[in-house]
Amino acid sequence: MTRVRNRWLLHPRRGRGIVAAAGVFAAAAMLGTAITVSFGLATGFDRAAERADLPDLVVRFRTDRMEDVDRRIRALPNLESRSYRLEVRDVPVLGRGQLRRRTAIEIAGRGRRGYAVVSGRDLSRDPGEVVMERGLARAWGLHVGDSVEVGRLGPLRLAGIVVAPDDVAFPLISRPRLWISKAGLRIPRGASAPVNNALVWVRDPARLDATLVQARAVGFGLRDLRIATHEGVRVLVDRAAGIVIALLVAFSLVAAAAAGLMLGASARADVERRLATVGVMRAVGFSRARVAGGYALESAVMAAPAAALGLAAGVLAAYGPTGHLLDVLSELPPGRALALPLLAALLAVVGLVAAATAWPAARAASRPPATLLAGAELRRAPRHMPGSGTPLGLGVRMVLARRARAAATVAVLTAATGVVLLMLGLASFLSRLQDDPGSVGRRYDLTAKLPGDRAGDVARIPGVAAAAPRYVAEGVDSFDIGEPVKLIAFPGDHTRFEAAPLASGRRVRADGEAEVGVGLADALGLRPGGALAVQLGSGTEARFRVVGVVRAIDNDGRVAYVRPRRLLGADPALAPTIAIRLAAGADRAAVSRGLEQLGAGPQATAAATTRNARFLGVLAGVLRVVALVNGLIALYALAQALALTAMERRSLLAVLRAGGASRRTLTLVLAGSALAVVALAAPLAVLAERVLLAPIVARLAAGYASLPLGAGAGEIAVVLAGLALLAAAAAALAARRVVREPIVAGLRQQ
Amino acid sequence: MSLVTARGLVKSFGSGAAGRRVLDGADLDVAPGELVAVLGRSGSGKSTLLHLLGGIDSADAGTIEVAGMRVDRLDERGLTEFRRDQVGFVFQFFHLIPELTGEENVLLPARLTGAGSVERGRMLLERLRLDGAAGRLPHTLSGGEQQRIAVARALVNGAGLVLADEPTGNLDSRSGVAVLELLRELARDERSVVLVTHDAQAAAIADRVVELDDGRVRPG
Repeated sequence: MTRVRNRWLLHPRRGRGIVAAAGVFAAAAMLGTAITVSFGLATGFDRAAERADLPDLVVRFRTDRMEDVDRRIRALPNLESRSYRLEVRDVPVLGRGQLRRRTAIEIAGRGRRGYAVVSGRDLSRDPGEVVMERGLARAWGLHVGDSVEVGRLGPLRLAGIVVAPDDVAFPLISRPRLWISKAGLRIPRGASAPVNNALVWVRDPARLDATLVQARAVGFGLRDLRIATHEGVRVLVDRAAGIVIALLVAFSLVAAAAAGLMLGASARADVERRLATVGVMRAVGFSRARVAGGYALESAVMAAPAAALGLAAGVLAAYGPTGHLLDVLSELPPGRALALPLLAALLAVVGLVAAATAWPAARAASRPPATLLAGAELRRAPRHMPGSGTPLGLGVRMVLARRARAAATVAVLTAATGVVLLMLGLASFLSRLQDDPGSVGRRYDLTAKLPGDRAGDVARIPGVAAAAPRYVAEGVDSFDIGEPVKLIAFPGDHTRFEAAPLASGRRVRADGEAEVGVGLADALGLRPGGALAVQLGSGTEARFRVVGVVRAIDNDGRVAYVRPRRLLGADPALAPTIAIRLAAGADRAAVSRGLEQLGAGPQATAAATTRNARFLGVLAGVLRVVALVNGLIALYALAQALALTAMERRSLLAVLRAGGASRRTLTLVLAGSALAVVALAAPLAVLAERVLLAPIVARLAAGYASLPLGAGAGEIAVVLAGLALLAAAAAALAARRVVREPIVAGLRQQ
Repeated sequence: MSLVTARGLVKSFGSGAAGRRVLDGADLDVAPGELVAVLGRSGSGKSTLLHLLGGIDSADAGTIEVAGMRVDRLDERGLTEFRRDQVGFVFQFFHLIPELTGEENVLLPARLTGAGSVERGRMLLERLRLDGAAGRLPHTLSGGEQQRIAVARALVNGAGLVLADEPTGNLDSRSGVAVLELLRELARDERSVVLVTHDAQAAAIADRVVELDDGRVRPG
C-alpha cells in the first residue's frame, strides 16, 4: 500500500512544488547564514584557544630577570606549567617592501607557546626564523618561506603564520605581533634573560580564582603588573561578537517561524484542494495516520534537497565574511565542526515542513470520508469585502478574504522588513563609526600637535570656531589593578569638543571632578559621589570625585572626562594635542595651511574606532549579507502568499480570463493582493524597528553607550521601495504562472 | 449567414494508450439569434466543443469562425480581446466570487476589463428581476438566483454569443426552467446561444438540437 500511496501523493505538481521548494530554500539559506555566523563566532574563541593551547593566565609586567619572575610564578598553587617571553615594542619590520615601525616582537623561550600555527611550522632552534600573526601576513601578502627583516636581526625566514587568541589581531590592534626564538639572540651563557610576559597554565581551571589571587600577591614587586585570564580575554573578544550572535539567533527564530507559518498555510491550502483525494484514501481504507504520514513524506521528499541547497547557499554566502571577522578576532573558522549544526538544521527544517503538512492533512482526514468526497471545505462562510471593483481593489479583497493567512503574511513581512531595516541601520552606524567622529560624540574636526598654550593662536586662524588643548592619559584603576582607564581632559567645558550623553549626575565643573563612562562605572561600581583613583603610566596617582556618568562609546566606555590641572599635577610631562572645531563652511585646506604655518601638521579627527575600520567594515558586510538573505524571505513570503491566493482562487482567475481579463489585468489583481499586505506590513515594520528591535539591539550591543541604531529616512525609503518592487515582482511571477495554466483547468475547480 | 462556423474540429486528451480523441472532425453552424442545444452522453466532448468555440481552449485541428473572426488563428492577445468582446460564458457551477455581492459580481467584467458598462449591468439586474439579490452574497442566494446572476455577468459585455455549459445541471427543476426561459429570451434579442446539456427539458426550448457522438456533431 505504501507504494500505491506514495505514487498517488507524489503526483507531479511542478509549479507549486517549485514555489514550496523555493520557500524552503530561502528559509534554509537564512538558517545557514545564521548558523555559520553565530556558530563561527560563538565557538571561534574556544576553538582557537584549544588549538593554540591558550594559557589560563597571561601576566604582563615591566621587564625583569627571568629567574626572579620564575621564582614567584613557581610559588603559585595549582600550577601546571609556565613559559616566559620578552616583548619588545616598535621594532621596525620590513616585508615585501612594506615597513611597519609599530610592532611587538615576542622573544619566546622554551615551553608552551600559546599560539596556533595555521600555516607552515613553529619556530625551531634555527636563529634565522620568525613566525608572524596572520593579520599582518595577510595584510602584507606574506607566505611561509618569505623573508622578513626584523630590526637589527636582519632578514629572517618566515617559518610559520600563527593565530594568538590572547588578543585580537592586526589591524584591530595597532601593533602586529611576531615571534622569534630566544635561541636566535646571542645571550651570553649564564646571563639571565630579561622577560616581561609570563604564560601560566593551571592544573584545575575550576580553581583559577585562587591562583589568580595568589598571582596578584606574589606579583607584588613586579612593576606595572597586569593579569589577563582566559575568561577575561573571551569576554573582551565576545563583546564584539555578542551583538551579531544575538541578532542572528533572534533572526533565525524569525526565519524559522516565518517559514513554518508559510509552509503551514501552503500545506493547508494544498490539502483543501485535495480534499476529495483525502476522502477517497479514507474511503478505501487508509488510516488517518497514513494519510498524514503520506503527506508528510511527500513534503519531506520535496523539502530535503531544497533545505540542503538552501543551507549550502547560506554557508557559502556567510563563510567568507565570517572568516574575515574571525581573522581579526584572532579566532579560527569552524571548518568541519559546522557540519553537525547544519545537519541538525537540515533535520529541523525537513521536520518542520513535514509537520506543517501532516497537521492539516490529519485534520482533514479526521472528517467523515463522505463529507470529504462531497468537497466540503475547511474554511468558513465568506464575508463581504468592501472595496473598489478595479483590478487592484479585487486583489485587495482576495487577499483580505482570508484574514488569518493575510495576518500571517503581514507578520512575516513585518518581521523580515523590520530586521532588514535594523541590519541596514546597524551597518550604516558601523560605517559612521569608521568615518564620522560625530557618531561618537566628538565635535572637533582637526587635531594638531602643539603645546597647550598655542591654542589661542590656533583659535585665531580664520575658519576656526574653537580650539583647546586635549590631554589624554592612560592608566589603571588604583583599587582594581588591571582595569584600564582613559582620562580625557579639556580646560573648561569639555562638551564643546566631546559630548557623550549624560546618563546620570551632572557635568564636570571643577578640577577635582570626573564624568566617568558607563563602562568604567559598571566595571568599578562607580556612581556620582564616588571616588576614582587612577594610577598613571608615570607611576603617580590622580584622584577625582565622580559627579556624572556618561554614555561614552570610546574605549568601551572605560573613560573619564576631567579638567587638566589635577592630571598635569600627577603627570607634568603630559603633552596635549590641540582639538580644533571648524566654523560652518570653513575652508579646511586654508585652516590646515594656517596650522602648518604654526608648525603643526593637522590631522583629521578620528572616529573612536578608526583603527578597527577593517573589523567594522567586515561586520557591516556580514550584516548586509544577512539583510540580503532576509530580503529573500520577504520575497518568498509575498510570492508564497500570492501563489496560495492564486491557487485557492484559480476558478475565479479562470472566470476572469474567460471573461477577457488579460495577463496585465491579472498582474494588477495579484499586485493588489501583494500591495495590501505590504501596505499593512511596512508601517508595522518601521514601528517595530524603531520601538522594539533597535532599542533592544542597542542595549545588547553596548550598555555603556547610546547608540543611534535606528534606520535613517533614506534606508526606510529604500526598503519600502524594495518592498513595493518585491510586490510587483511577486505579482508578475504569480500572474505568469496563472496564465500558463489552461483556463479550463481552473474552471474545473468548483 | 452563420454567426458561428466550426469545421473539422479535432481535440484529443492524453497520449499513448490513455489518449482519447473527444472531438473527431466536429462541424457546427449557429445562426444569429439561434439557440442551439448540444446533447450527448457524459464525456462525449460537449464542454470541450464549447471551450473551443469560446476561445478558452485550442483545437488540435479544424477551423472556428465567430462573427467573421478566425478564432483558431488568434494569438493570446487576440483571444483575450475575443473573449472580452464577443463571448459570454455561463457555467454549471456559477463561479461567482463569494466575497462580492450579486451586483458586484455582475459588474466585475465591466470594472476589470472595461467590457460593457456599469449601466448595462444595472439594467440587466433589473431586467432579470435580480434587484433583491443585488446586494447579497452568493452563498445567501438560491441556486436559480446565482445562475441568473451568472447569466447577467455573461451579458454585461454585450456579447453576441452566449455559451452555456450545463446551466441547469446544478439547479432544481423550477430554477432550471427559469434559467432556460431566460436563455430563450436572450436568443430572441438576436444573440446566439449554444447550450450544452444532457437535460431533455433544456433541449426542448432550443431552436435546434444537435448531438455529439463519436466526436462528431449529428442532427438530434
